[in-house]
Amino acid sequence: MVGLSLGEQHFIQGGIAQDLRCDGRKRLTYRPIYVETGVIPQANGSARVRMGATDVIASVKAELGKPSSLQPNKGKVSIHIDCSSTAEPAFEGRGGDELSAELSNALQSCLLGGKSGEGAGIDLSSLIVIEGKICWDLYIDGLVVSSDGNLLDTLGAAIKAALSNTGIPRVQVAAGESSDDQPEVDISDEEFLQFDTSGVPVIVTLTKVGRHYIVDATSEEESQMSSAISISVNRQGYICGITKRGGAGMDPSIILDMVSVAKHVSEQLINKLDSEIASAEAEHQE
Amino acid sequence: MAGKGGSAPATYSPSPTVQKKKTSIFQEDWVRPDGRGFHQCRPAFFRTGAVNAASGSAYAEFGNTKIIVSVFGPRESKKAMMYSDIGRLNCNVSYTTFASPVRGQGSDHKEYTAMLHKALEGAIILESFPKTTVDVFALVLESGGSDLPVVISCASLALADAGIMMYDLVASISVSCLSKNLVIDPIFEEENSQDGSLMITCMPSRYEITQLTFTGEWSTPKIDEGMQLCLDACAKLAKIMRSCLKEAASDSQE
Repeated sequence: MVGLSLGEQHFIQGGIAQDLRCDGRKRLTYRPIYVETGVIPQANGSARVRMGATDVIASVKAELGKPSSLQPNKGKVSIHIDCSSTAEPAFEGRGGDELSAELSNALQSCLLGGKSGEGAGIDLSSLIVIEGKICWDLYIDGLVVSSDGNLLDTLGAAIKAALSNTGIPRVQVAAGESSDDQPEVDISDEEFLQFDTSGVPVIVTLTKVGRHYIVDATSEEESQMSSAISISVNRQGYICGITKRGGAGMDPSIILDMVSVAKHVSEQLINKLDSEIASAEAEHQE
Repeated sequence: MAGKGGSAPATYSPSPTVQKKKTSIFQEDWVRPDGRGFHQCRPAFFRTGAVNAASGSAYAEFGNTKIIVSVFGPRESKKAMMYSDIGRLNCNVSYTTFASPVRGQGSDHKEYTAMLHKALEGAIILESFPKTTVDVFALVLESGGSDLPVVISCASLALADAGIMMYDLVASISVSCLSKNLVIDPIFEEENSQDGSLMITCMPSRYEITQLTFTGEWSTPKIDEGMQLCLDACAKLAKIMRSCLKEAASDSQE
């Protein structure tokens, strides 16, 4: 990204202070969101989401595995993000590792809930096939194809869309002795179970520039930020996870204010996303 | 570290796992295993100057969680790194293999290094050591729960011991949500069955939060309550850290 001159920096900061950003948006307006589902036929579910110039692809693959001994009645989900070097030359080789790790961690804490499995956006107990022996392992992979700020929100939206596009094959367990270590399973090619994504939260990132917060920052605006808080909110208005980026300290009352702003913004975002996902699915089926 | 009395060598049997009773433990009137109240932290023990070879170091013990942090620097940045007119901070958090109850299982905490970095970079005055790097190495000797907050507090104490300029000491505390109760400074068993967690790092004198992480489902009044609990506890923790530094300074003057 080209560096910004002092004049450009003041222009961005001044515009945000007056509720008029460089592309004409207000502080709490998102860029237009485009959702396509089913972009990767070999995956169990996939989606591509574009917010302005930010373009990400999320894919969900399901494989049979063994549940962990601490939680034998729950499946496993792992989220991994990769920043492709097509997005930024700096991401080539190991360069994008730090950002990828940060994004993966933020998404995992937002979508997977506490250690006991409570508050998880994804219902893990629906992934179990045989308790204690066989469960579905979901591997959610995100790829950042083009980066123009607000990667976390876009990845969250892509994962939500990919999960609603995911079909888990129906599994028939061969009736045998229950003392078998590995019961035989027959994975059907035809029937699929759709995943229930009404509980999956969306992530709203509020970037603080000067004394105001903006939503959906472009990468120019992000370079001027003092700090950013990403808040994951679900449909019921519960906060499912908060992470802070950026080193500057923040007054606690500002954080509480940001939480309430995020809840307000998330309602519109959830409705917009749901309608986009529904229309993408409808298109896909035709 | 407290050791057991010198009695005849008794046979060692590991504590029985309580996994089978897990579902019945967390009821409304549940008492914490170490007898603390829900809003009571473990007694904190800090000592600076633990490592002689380092520019600064600190040892922290919170119940069963034992952390040692060394700070090296400011020293010359590697030649491969670009010129930078502010200082660089390099952090690393590692677990010993004997830190967790099951040998070698501390490896799922790779993100602690990044989180330590984010928590400290807001407090250190990086402009005071341009072109150089400060290394902060944290080693978890025993993981008894609430590891990352103790690592952060201990690291800021080590940085102060090394004489690195900071805006304020960084104190950190975590709160776990167990069914409907908020318990502060959770231990290992409480963390494993928590429904949600909140970790806050703040600079108490400036009343600023440098890092916060929430997981699990939280409603706004709970967030309020949790944050308030953490901020109060951080203020008290910072007082303890300050008195530890003053003791060390007055010791060295004698």
